Amino acid sequence: MISLKNVAKWYGSFQVLADCSTEVAKGEVVVVCGPSGSGKSTLIKCVNGLEPFQKGEITVDGISVGDPKTNLPKLRSRVGMVFQHFELFPHMTVMQNLTLGQVKVLGRSREEALQKGMKLLERVGLSAHKDKFPAQLSGGQQQRVAIARALSMDPIAMLFDEPTSALDPEMINEVLDVMVELAKEGMTMMVVTHEMGFARKVARRVIFMDAGRIVEDAGKEEFFGTPRSERAQLFLSKILHH
Amino acid sequence: MVGTLRTTPLAWAVRLGNLYVEIFRNIPLIVQMFLWFFVMPELVPEALGDWIKQMPPPWGSYVPAVLCLGVFTSVRIAEQVRAGINSLPRGQRMAAIAMGLTEAEAYRYVILPQALRIILPPLTSEFMNVIKNSSVALTIGLLELTGRARAMQEFSFRVFEAFATATVIYLLTNLVVVLLMRALERKVRVPGLIAAGGAPQAGH
Amino acid sequence: MFAGYDFDVIQRSLPYLFRDGMTFTVTLTLIAMSGGIVFGTLLAMMRLSSFTPLSALSGGYVNLMRSVPLVLVIFWFFFLVPYIGAWAIGANEPIRVGAFWSAAITFTMFEAAYYCEIMRAGIQSIPRGQVWSGYALGLDYWQTMGHIVLPQAFRNMVPVLLTQTIILFQDTSLVYVISATDFLGAASKIANRDYRLVEMYTFVAVVYFIISYALSQVVRRLQDRIAVIR
Repeated sequence: MISLKNVAKWYGSFQVLADCSTEVAKGEVVVVCGPSGSGKSTLIKCVNGLEPFQKGEITVDGISVGDPKTNLPKLRSRVGMVFQHFELFPHMTVMQNLTLGQVKVLGRSREEALQKGMKLLERVGLSAHKDKFPAQLSGGQQQRVAIARALSMDPIAMLFDEPTSALDPEMINEVLDVMVELAKEGMTMMVVTHEMGFARKVARRVIFMDAGRIVEDAGKEEFFGTPRSERAQLFLSKILHH
Repeated sequence: MVGTLRTTPLAWAVRLGNLYVEIFRNIPLIVQMFLWFFVMPELVPEALGDWIKQMPPPWGSYVPAVLCLGVFTSVRIAEQVRAGINSLPRGQRMAAIAMGLTEAEAYRYVILPQALRIILPPLTSEFMNVIKNSSVALTIGLLELTGRARAMQEFSFRVFEAFATATVIYLLTNLVVVLLMRALERKVRVPGLIAAGGAPQAGH
Repeated sequence: MFAGYDFDVIQRSLPYLFRDGMTFTVTLTLIAMSGGIVFGTLLAMMRLSSFTPLSALSGGYVNLMRSVPLVLVIFWFFFLVPYIGAWAIGANEPIRVGAFWSAAITFTMFEAAYYCEIMRAGIQSIPRGQVWSGYALGLDYWQTMGHIVLPQAFRNMVPVLLTQTIILFQDTSLVYVISATDFLGAASKIANRDYRLVEMYTFVAVVYFIISYALSQVVRRLQDRIAVIR
């Protein structure tokens, strides 16, 4: 479904990604973790072309992201993305946020979009809030709306960029619950997160990144059982101790 | 000066400063220019008025123009000083007073030195504005000389040249001002104090 | 001090002042404002473009306009526009452009440079994530700008845009220099005809003051309301 081959990226002369290769198969959940500044957010933004990369190749469902001839908006409309800071559109109501892409990109009728939006809001347990503005919701609620917005496009895969790290601790679970449910339904997911509990529960593979490189790419049991690299061991011991 | 006035705790001083600023900010510069040119000599005592009217040609329009620009610009600078002072954390004034400084000393030694650094960039553009605004005065002078109605039809290519020269001169002068002010900014910069990013501001 | 005043002259000329003069001033302000904001927004988008020639072109235009006095720009356009127009449509003689349209074009072009800087700040105040999330939904550049970035940028900048418009309203009085009959021009014509300079100019100043002050109070109130929403 998603395939990365030797991806490299520079900001000026500073290399942020080096020789990153991996695969995400259909229906697979892959968790990407690593210390801050290791390039994991950049990597996931490369997958749907939000960040350009200079070397290597990324394909999604067989379509090359880096190819200038690719219709990027069309490709992106098939890949859902959830951001660290939610990025709901603050000047639109929750429902308008959910219908914008459906109407403008997929060309659905307003009624159809509203119905779909309502169904998704029910699913994330927020149908009562459909006419509120994002600023009137808590962080956890906003992130659930953001997930619903991404799902409204009927994506073939979902990318999550640290979806819980801007949330207060008590709100993390409501968002993770929605994500776990999605995973169980067989959604293809690539998730940048530090929530190792989530990784243990639903991930099939865990990727560990450091300094722009993929240091470890292993099955979940192997990764949590005996990580091969020292950096990963150190990282895990820091993150699991609190 | 006036800008400082408007941040003090004295209510009447604030009110007076506000009134002054509002008046000069809400009347077009060219109208103010006319007020100084035509109205002011009539309102002051007769002898003084006559004396102004009888000043030899260049001075007769020069003095009102300078007065007008001076007052107009002082108001705009007042606004910027106020914005600069208000942008300082409140704690600065409290800390100064807590050290036992009087209100006046706090302004003199703590607040103004900081505020002046903050407002240097907007002052630069204000400087450029004075130069640009002086063109309004020049224009009136020019029109007075040529006679307005006729002038419109008789503009020849000589005038084009004059305008082209004037435009280039304005551009160069403004460039020099920008460079000078940048040098000044660098000189007074306090290490570690990041200049506040220029907030968008309406203006000419 | 007001002994020699003739307030009657003001009353007699009120219809002329407002029907001719003020209408000119207000129409000019509105045209230049709408044109200037549209053109200025486009300039701002160009300036922020990653395509260097576009941003350089726009940057050059804005800086040039901002460092030349408005009066000179008015003159330039007044004398050049007829020639440019003639060149554009291939006519032999300079086309006749009235003072009004010359002024309208001048102010639109000139104000666009200032509106551009305001909109640029407005666009830059929108977090990058908003653009990303628009793109991630599959919106293209124009859709992202039109539905997501510009509405927010515009909303944030309404007070500054309005303040700039008040300045524009005052600046339109400079069309006096091309003998257009705006509010000031009308007053000046009467002033010179009846030799009532003091009365007329004082009156003009008072009217400008009242209008600009009222508008700036509206802006201030708006600013407070926006501050509450955030």
